[in-house]
Formats: sequence, C-alpha cells, structure tokens
Amino acid sequence: MKEFFNWIDDRTGIAKLTREALFESVPGGARWRYVWGSTLSFAIMVQFITGIFLWMGYSSSATTAWESVYYIQNEMSFGWLLRGIHHWTAQIMVILLVLHLVQVVIDSAYRAPREFNFWFGVILLFITLAISLTGYLLPWDQKGFWATKVATNLAGIVPVIGGDLQKIIIGGSDYGHHTLTRFFALHAGVLPGALVALVVVHIYLFRRHGITEAKPATKAGALYYWSLLGVVFGALTVMAFIFEDSAKQWVPWIVSGVFAGIVVRIAFLLIRGGDDDSASRPKRDGMFWPDQILRDAIACAAVMAAVLFFVFWKSTELTAPADPSQPYNAARPDWYFMSLFQMLKFPVFKGALGLLIGAIIVPSILVTAVFLMPLIGKSRIGHWVNVVMLYLLIGGFVVLTAMGFNHDANDEDYKRGVANAHADAKRLNELILINGGIPPAGALTLLYSDPKIRGARLFAANCASCHPHGGGDGMGGEVKEPSAPDLKGVGSREWIAGLLDHKRYTSAEYFGNTKFKEGKMAGHLDDIEMLQADIDAVSAALASEGRVAGYSLPEGGQKFIDSGFDLMFNDLECADCHGIQGEDEGKGPSLTGYMSREWMVNFVGNPAHEDLYGKKNDRMPSFLSMKKEDGTVKEGQLSRQDVELIVGWLRGEWPKAGDVEK
Amino acid sequence: MPSEMAARQPGDPERREFMAKAVSIVAGGAIVSVPVGVGIATLVSPIFGEGQGGIKIRLAAVEDLPGDGSPKLYQVVAERTDAWTKYPEKPLGSVFLRKLENGGVAAFNSSCPHAGCSVGFKSKEEGYYCPCHESVFLLDGSMGKFCVSPRGLDSLEVDKDRLKDGEVWVTFQNFAAGIEEKRAI
Ligand code: FES
Repeated sequence: MKEFFNWIDDRTGIAKLTREALFESVPGGARWRYVWGSTLSFAIMVQFITGIFLWMGYSSSATTAWESVYYIQNEMSFGWLLRGIHHWTAQIMVILLVLHLVQVVIDSAYRAPREFNFWFGVILLFITLAISLTGYLLPWDQKGFWATKVATNLAGIVPVIGGDLQKIIIGGSDYGHHTLTRFFALHAGVLPGALVALVVVHIYLFRRHGITEAKPATKAGALYYWSLLGVVFGALTVMAFIFEDSAKQWVPWIVSGVFAGIVVRIAFLLIRGGDDDSASRPKRDGMFWPDQILRDAIACAAVMAAVLFFVFWKSTELTAPADPSQPYNAARPDWYFMSLFQMLKFPVFKGALGLLIGAIIVPSILVTAVFLMPLIGKSRIGHWVNVVMLYLLIGGFVVLTAMGFNHDANDEDYKRGVANAHADAKRLNELILINGGIPPAGALTLLYSDPKIRGARLFAANCASCHPHGGGDGMGGEVKEPSAPDLKGVGSREWIAGLLDHKRYTSAEYFGNTKFKEGKMAGHLDDIEMLQADIDAVSAALASEGRVAGYSLPEGGQKFIDSGFDLMFNDLECADCHGIQGEDEGKGPSLTGYMSREWMVNFVGNPAHEDLYGKKNDRMPSFLSMKKEDGTVKEGQLSRQDVELIVGWLRGEWPKAGDVEK
Repeated sequence: MPSEMAARQPGDPERREFMAKAVSIVAGGAIVSVPVGVGIATLVSPIFGEGQGGIKIRLAAVEDLPGDGSPKLYQVVAERTDAWTKYPEKPLGSVFLRKLENGGVAAFNSSCPHAGCSVGFKSKEEGYYCPCHESVFLLDGSMGKFCVSPRGLDSLEVDKDRLKDGEVWVTFQNFAAGIEEKRAI
C-alpha cells in the first residue's frame, strides 16, 4: 500500500500538496471568526454540484424552460429538494459574501500586501450577483420574466451602446428562446468558469499572504458577534410568527429556540465576562488541520442546516409561465436588488437622466468606492473611513430593502399580482395532471384553453365593465359602475329564484341599472306576485334546462320540475312571451335550453337575435362575428373559442383534478 | 546599409530571439482570435438583425369601448417568429384603448416607458399607475404629477380608415424604455 502511494506521489507530488494545503499554520490558533471564507467555498461547491444536476434536467427554450423546471420540481424524485437547495444556497451565499466582506474590512485585511486579493474578492462578489441575476430568469415564470425585463431595460439606458447591449443580452429585440439560451450560458458556463478561476487565485493569494491575524478575542468583540447573530435570529423569529403557517408549526419553534440559545449565551457572557482569552490563548500557532477545519466543518453544517430550513419552510416558488400580455403587478427583483429597485422610485431619480444616475452611475460610484478601500485604508483614519462607509452602505441597503418590502406588504395590487400568479401556477399543475402532461407548444397553451383561468380573465376584460361577478370583476378587482346583472351562479336555482323576485329583479343585482327595470317583465312580476312555492318550482324547472355545474335534481324530483313548467305554461303566463321547451315563440327571450352552454354562447354571441332580446336589447354588444343585413360581416370582439371559455367559466364547467384517476 | 545588415543578421542571437518571440505572439494571437472572433460575431448578430417592427392587429370594435372614455386593456396575441419557432398565436403584450370625445380612439402600449413593467389603470381621476416605481400617467397618457418615467405612455397608431367602419386596428410596437425619445425596437 505504502509503495503504491509512494509511486503516485513520485509522479504527482501529491503528498507535498496535501501537506501544504492542510498544515497551514493559523497564527494565534484556530478561531471561529475565520470560518466565513470556508463556508463560502462550501456554498460555491454546493451550487456547482446541485447546478450540474439541475442542468441535467433543464431545457433552455421559451417553450421548455418552465416546463422542465416544473418537471424537476414536481415529477423527478427529490427534484424539489435539489432545486430548493440550489435556490436557497444562492440566497444565503449573498449573505455570506457580505459577512466575509465586512470581516475583511473590519480586520483591515485588505492592507498591503493583500490589495489584489481584496479586489479579486470584490469581483467575485459581483460575479456571484451576476450569476444570481441570470439564474432568476431561467425558470421562465412570470416573476423571472418581468424582473429580467426591467433589468435588461436598465442595461439599455447605458449611453451610446445601451441599445445594442440590450439586444445582445436578450438575443434580439424581443424576449424569447435566445434570451434563455444566453442567460443559461452565462449562468452555467461563462460566469461559473470565471468564478472558479478567480476563487483559485483568491485562495492562492490568501495562502501566499497567510491569514490576517485577528486581534485577541475580547468580551466586547464576542458580545458584538453574538448580538449580531441575535439580531438576525430575532428578525427571523418575528418573521416566523408573522408568516405563521399552520401546516408548518415547527418553524417558529426552531427559530425561537435558536434565538433563545443566543440570548442565553449573551447573558452568560455578560455575567461571567469570559472570552477574554488573550491570556489563556496558546502563544504557539494552531494548525489548519484539524483545529480550524473542525470549526469550518461545523460552520458549513450550520449553513446547510439553514438552507434546508428554508427549503422546508418556504419551499421554492415557481409562478405561472412567462406571459408578456398578462400584466404582473408584482414585478420585483430578488431581495438583494430590492434596494436598487426601491431607490429608483425617488423623485431625484426622475426622468431619463435621473434613471441613468440612479441605475448606473450611483451604483458604479459605490462599487468604485469599495474597490478603492485598500488605498483609502492605508492609514488609521482611512481605515475608519472605510468601516463607516461600509456600515453606511449596509445601513442604506437595509433601510431601502425594508422600505420596498414594507410598501409591497401594504399594496393591494401587488398582493393580488402575487396571488394570481400563484393561483395560475396551482391551476396549471392541476391541468397538467388532468391532461397527463404538457403539450409541445408549452404549458401556457393549457392555461389559455382553461375556462377557469382564461374564462375568468376574458370575463374580467370583456364583460366586467358592465357585469359584476359576485360583486367584483371575477379576478379580485372591482367593477366601477356595474350596469348589468351580477352573473355569479348564473343559471343555478338560487340565481333564477332571485331573478323571479320582483324586488331583486329591479335591483342593481339584476336589471336595476338597465332599461329592463321598467320593462314588461318587471311589470309582469309585479302584477302576478309569485308565491315562494311558485318561485321554487319555476326556478327548478328553468335550472333543469341549463344544468350548470353543481346541478342536482330538486327535492320532489322530476315531478316538481314538471309542475314548474306547468305553472309557466298556464297560471303565470310565461309562455305568452317566452318560448318554453321548444314550444311557441313570443317576443321575449326564448327559455328553451335556458342558460345551457349553447344558449349562453348564442346569447353572448348575439343578444339582439330575434329569439333573444331582439330589438329590445339594452347596450349588450354582440361578441361573435355576424353577417349584417347588407351582407358584410361585422367582426365580433371575441372568437368562438373565447366565448366558450367565458361561458364555461360562468357555468362552472372546467376539468377538475378529481376527474382523473391517478 | 544593406551590406551592414546582411553582415549583422545571421550571427545576431538577440535579434533572432526577438523575431521568434514576436512571431509566436502574433501567430498565437491570430490563431486564438479565430474561434473567439467567430464566437463574438455570432453573439452580437442580433444588433445587425432587423427588429420585428410593428404588427397591425384588430383589437376591438369601437362600440365595445366604454362610452365614458375610460380605457380598457386588450391583450395582443398574434403570429410571431421567435428564433426558430413560429407561433401561430403568441402573446406579445397588451394595449389600452379608449374612446375620445371627438369620436377617435387612443391606443397606448401598456409597457411602462420607465423600465418596462405593465402599467395598470386605476380610475379616470387617478389615471394609470405603474406597480414598479409608482409612476402615474394621466388619462391621456401624459406624465402625471408623480412620475419617474422619462416620458408618457407610448401611444400606438390607430388606423383611421378602419375606424370609420367602427373597427379598431392598431399597429402594435414596443419602444426603448428609460429614455426621453420614443424609439421603436
Ligand atoms: S417601470 Fe414603471 S415606473 Fe419604473
């Protein structure tokens, strides 16, 4: 065995390399505060590993990106976990990077001869942010799409080259396949390649210069660190209670448990005042292996635990597929760009010049300032300038980010945008199950042919300026001036019963805002004063024509229904005006097949048809194309398919997850 | 002179070395620049390509628009090619249409001229509102009091002849965001 190792070592020199890697001396002994760099390397490694496995399941094109991510997330075993780890490690990595930077600046570890390493580190920070930015788009969902649209538009305002730059980035003048292929190549090829190269140089230089020895631990220093941790976990605890999720009761327990532990630790520090180890600390240097590595390993395990915690708590979002024609009120960048986003709202950054200053020039100045830190920090005062500057930067970042999130938490439009995108995504998952897969043209086509989603949208866009649906526009928005009957539950027994009640018929709920309020039917209802029993029978009869979703035979069965028709033909004189069960045709709308799919499509298509309102039609447009008297065709507002979707939605007819057998 | 050079050249090791270095660098650079150059040329090809230009599309009949002059949002779904895929129906964006008092129709691209979010309509008094940086636009599309956008909403061309027949045909187009000038892309 030994000979074998010797042989390998002779050809490769591996023993020396390992010795050098592991037996690096750590001046002043191993310390917890040296772990940040290692946790970062660990996070990068996790991203590479999970990234490569995700790559094996991902397909970058406008018709397959969302679809393949859906498949990873929902169909591949442990795909949700793989994607979750990748997503949440990315978030935590940004935090680790900032902590690393803070530490370097506080310890003035950028001073000669380490300037270059500092600069490489800062470049690494920006490469990481670029990787995050490009990764945000890859699922090609509404969230990623709109955020990227904003980001690339900002690239477009760079003077002179902006327009071309934007075209190169998005691969044309429109977002599509080539936006994804480019972003993916950057995210998984170019940028990680650059990252690895720089990390190697970064670590090489770090080893060349050796660790920057931290000052001996003091009580104040320890308190500072623990309070920082305390603040983080305190915030997490508050968040966990605010966003409490009854299905995830364990979340507040865990964070508050950790928080309590930190508080106890701080209390202990205060009472015992320990940790001033300048006296007890061994004068000799420690070794990287195993002293420091043990601490590093524990820290990395904590990072992984945090990542998993978030995966299980918040899971990993995939909103509805990108759709440029579907307004998304929640277009936001990822949280670490939120401050920049928020900044652009300020009136000082108004107009083209303001935008240029806010989005390009100010960030560039800040970046330059960070780059200059090693030169500024040569003197003692310079060092303090740097520290103050850094805290101001971080403070500004925190305040702006908090402002952004606070605004969104109180913004109804924003919340509705998020809710809609989530509802769409949920429904889409159902549709994929029902359909048994995604059609080749992409998942969006499923949404576009679904009465529940598409029908509601078409209703909101085309009908809700007059007809409310349960008081709103059917999509959570409001109807400003309703002028026609509320169509929620249309065709059901209850809805028809309301229609037959004179008081309700003439109220805004039905025809109160139309000229039918004074019409023949209103007068007739007033005259005959129907008994409740009659109303029940007639509405049962009419509801049996349309049989909207949820229809069931009334108590009394077919007999009761027949009695309703009987009333309509005889006592109530409905048949004088209305066609009923295919018999007779009066001037009023035919009630044969009342509120059935066909009847409704015809009605929406052309309410002024002689079988329906005829000349008495009040303002309702004909939504389908029709031949006019002079032979020309009047184009309708909607296609037949669209009308079917609206009718399907109103009738509550759409495929339901329970309909398929798994 | 020539005789002098001829005399010095063959025996001058320094000069030979310099030549060798220079040639290696130039040749090496030239060789590498082939793949890099070709790659970059392909990468930047979009800037030489033509934009998709405007698309003329029927969105509504005049009578479908609210009589009180408040705008209504229409989706633009049309045939479009994206790289290798030709979509018979691709959602491209959305357009606000509103009836004008003079009988005409105004059309606005709903994409915010600030940075491209989708602008929504609040009310006739409050106008349009962008959910991103909170720009407000007045009913006629011009910039409101609080508006970080460098210009008002981008109006789109409405076909006058078809309007006479009661049909609203609009040339749908996107414009570069974040600048004062309304530049089609
Ligand atoms: S994108 Fe509309 S205000 Fe910025």
